[in-house]
Amino acid sequence: MTNSLLFGISIFVYFFSMVLYVSYLAFRSETLGKVATFTLLAGVIIETAAISLRWYESYQMGIGRAPLTNLYESLVFFAWTIAIVYLLMERKFGIKTAGAFVTPFPFIIMAYASLNPNEIQPLVPALQSNWLISHVVTCFVGYAAFAVSFGVSFLYLFKINAENRPVRKGEGVLGYLPASDLLDEVGYKTIAIGFPLLTIGIITGAFWANVAWGTYWSWDPKETWSLIVWLIYAAYLHARITKGWRGKKAAVLSIVGFSATIFCYLGVNLILSGLHSYGG
Amino acid sequence: MAEELRREKTRADFVDKIWGVFTSLKLVITLLLVLSVLSVIGTVIEQNKPLQEYYRFFRPETVALFGRLGLLDMYHSWWFTACLALLALNIIACTMERYTFIMRGMKKQGFVLDEKLQAGLTNLTKIKYSLPAETVESRVTAIAGKNFPARPVVTEVENARHFFYEKGKYTRLAFFLTHLSVLVIFIGAIAGSLLGFKGYVNINEGELISSVQARQGENKGLNFSVKCNSFNVDFYPNGAPKDYRSDLSVIRDGKEVARKTIRVNDPLSYEGITFYQSSYGKLPDEVTLEIKDKDGLSLGTVAAPFGRKVDIPGGAQIELLDFREDFHLSDGSEAGPVYGVNLYSPGAAPNGIWISETRPEMNRYGAYSFAVKGVKLRKYTGLQVNKDPGVWVVWTGCIMLVAGIMMAFFMSHKKFWIRIGKDKKGRVEVTAGGTANKNKHAFASEVERVVESFREVSS
Repeated sequence: MTNSLLFGISIFVYFFSMVLYVSYLAFRSETLGKVATFTLLAGVIIETAAISLRWYESYQMGIGRAPLTNLYESLVFFAWTIAIVYLLMERKFGIKTAGAFVTPFPFIIMAYASLNPNEIQPLVPALQSNWLISHVVTCFVGYAAFAVSFGVSFLYLFKINAENRPVRKGEGVLGYLPASDLLDEVGYKTIAIGFPLLTIGIITGAFWANVAWGTYWSWDPKETWSLIVWLIYAAYLHARITKGWRGKKAAVLSIVGFSATIFCYLGVNLILSGLHSYGG
Repeated sequence: MAEELRREKTRADFVDKIWGVFTSLKLVITLLLVLSVLSVIGTVIEQNKPLQEYYRFFRPETVALFGRLGLLDMYHSWWFTACLALLALNIIACTMERYTFIMRGMKKQGFVLDEKLQAGLTNLTKIKYSLPAETVESRVTAIAGKNFPARPVVTEVENARHFFYEKGKYTRLAFFLTHLSVLVIFIGAIAGSLLGFKGYVNINEGELISSVQARQGENKGLNFSVKCNSFNVDFYPNGAPKDYRSDLSVIRDGKEVARKTIRVNDPLSYEGITFYQSSYGKLPDEVTLEIKDKDGLSLGTVAAPFGRKVDIPGGAQIELLDFREDFHLSDGSEAGPVYGVNLYSPGAAPNGIWISETRPEMNRYGAYSFAVKGVKLRKYTGLQVNKDPGVWVVWTGCIMLVAGIMMAFFMSHKKFWIRIGKDKKGRVEVTAGGTANKNKHAFASEVERVVESFREVSS
């Protein structure tokens, strides 16, 4: 199958981009940084081709469906959205050093995906719906934004901790990192993108559930965990906008939020049972 | 007198304190985090399962304790509901608290770019022109009109003309949209649970029903009948299900008033009641059994229709009552399709027995043994039945929520002022600046771009 070959190549390209971003953090060479960005971009392009090809192949097999319907496909899509959201943020805010903290995600997720069965399976009746694409895309772009916020918040905490150590202030890696304020701001901005998307994702999911099962909310573990994630980020936004929580507290809450997101996505499927057991 | 005043004051203090608690951000954040932590419990302990399921994992005392604490149906427990009610109260209080402030922000005011206002603007720019005031005014306002509404409020004060532009005033209402939407969703959910019902019904192919089994246990009568004309399943070549279809007719006073083939994502609605394709199965209409004695000698064959006692040779009766398509024996081996039959032997208590189609050697019971010779199966479709008059309220709330969030995050109330006057030397001087209630950085660059174009007017 050619789509799996392309996916295989993209894993390697993501791996190299991760190595390059980490080297950029260590050696601070502008050229290295540029190469890192281009490698990540190349990874995205190859993966885009792989996803499109998989979509096309499903039509050739007479199944014809968007490649968003099992654990393998959702992992692959998740890696893709994280890489894209990160590239956009890097372009907008110039936070290239954050790449070392974000790019491990596409690589690890793709590598994990490759351990899962990847045949193109036909859709079970419950998934045959026009809501599939809007529900999955909004949820995963939201998740990806939270992942970028996590990486940036992690870098923020790393930087703050390093700054508090009195030795060699402003030297080494530290002086090269983006300003703390900027990291803090990007951490917030990405959540401000992810939160509306998660909201739409939950609502489209509820609407779909109502069409398929006659109930828009059944406290199924996936639904409940998505609500938990939503509540955590809602708390974050209230704390930040109204109370002016910034810096460390906000970064910690962003990390907690993304941990809950990962559990909502993978933990629920792997550990708990429920309506999403097919892996989306 | 003094005593009374003091008491009044204490009471006022007390009310203030309560109000303070309900409008405090601490309560909001605490509630949101408490709700999320509580919700975790319900995903770890599976909810609303038969008690036997819990006994597999917990000791009976623990299960009893869970039951008392409401942990087996925690999302409907008094304490979870209380948290949601507290959240609702909190939202109402915060909305009331914010009302005046938001309404004040929406009032048209500050049309004049006076000294005080100028001091408050961070991006104030002054440009001098050697053109007539009228030319400057017409060109500058033309540029401003491209970015802001074309009709500004114009005020003439102290030989200077002031232009006030405003955009996105109503985005200030985003607060109400997002917060009231949660209340609207709650109201929709409550309306649904009070005025609606959830149930299910199995309809045999070719038959009709006029009541359904509600979740709460009672039978719910309908004002009409539903007939299943046919039910079909398609499979993919790999054996996975592809499509479940039930051709349903709604019949009222003996006439067909609606007809639709429903699928998993495509239900049938009639008079606010919706029928969803949920499951399917087969039931035997009639089983033909060969009756043998202990030694395997045939006594004859009997056709047993579902649910009717029939005589069999040897003086006993049988009644066909149950069917399993894939029966698993207690040792885990598969017995294929089996038929549940009550055997009534004279002078003995009725005996419930399973008759296997594929393993006749298992079908020895007392003086008889049985062999399945033929079977007429009838398909049935399993439907989820639901009435929820609150669902549109919930969707309204959802739309409000999304609209509100979009407005809150991506739009802002922007104000922009231009003052066209004369400086001490009598030259035309334009003073311009703006402010936004959110996303100030982005608006500052927007203002900068507009003001840059103002500069080009002079050249």
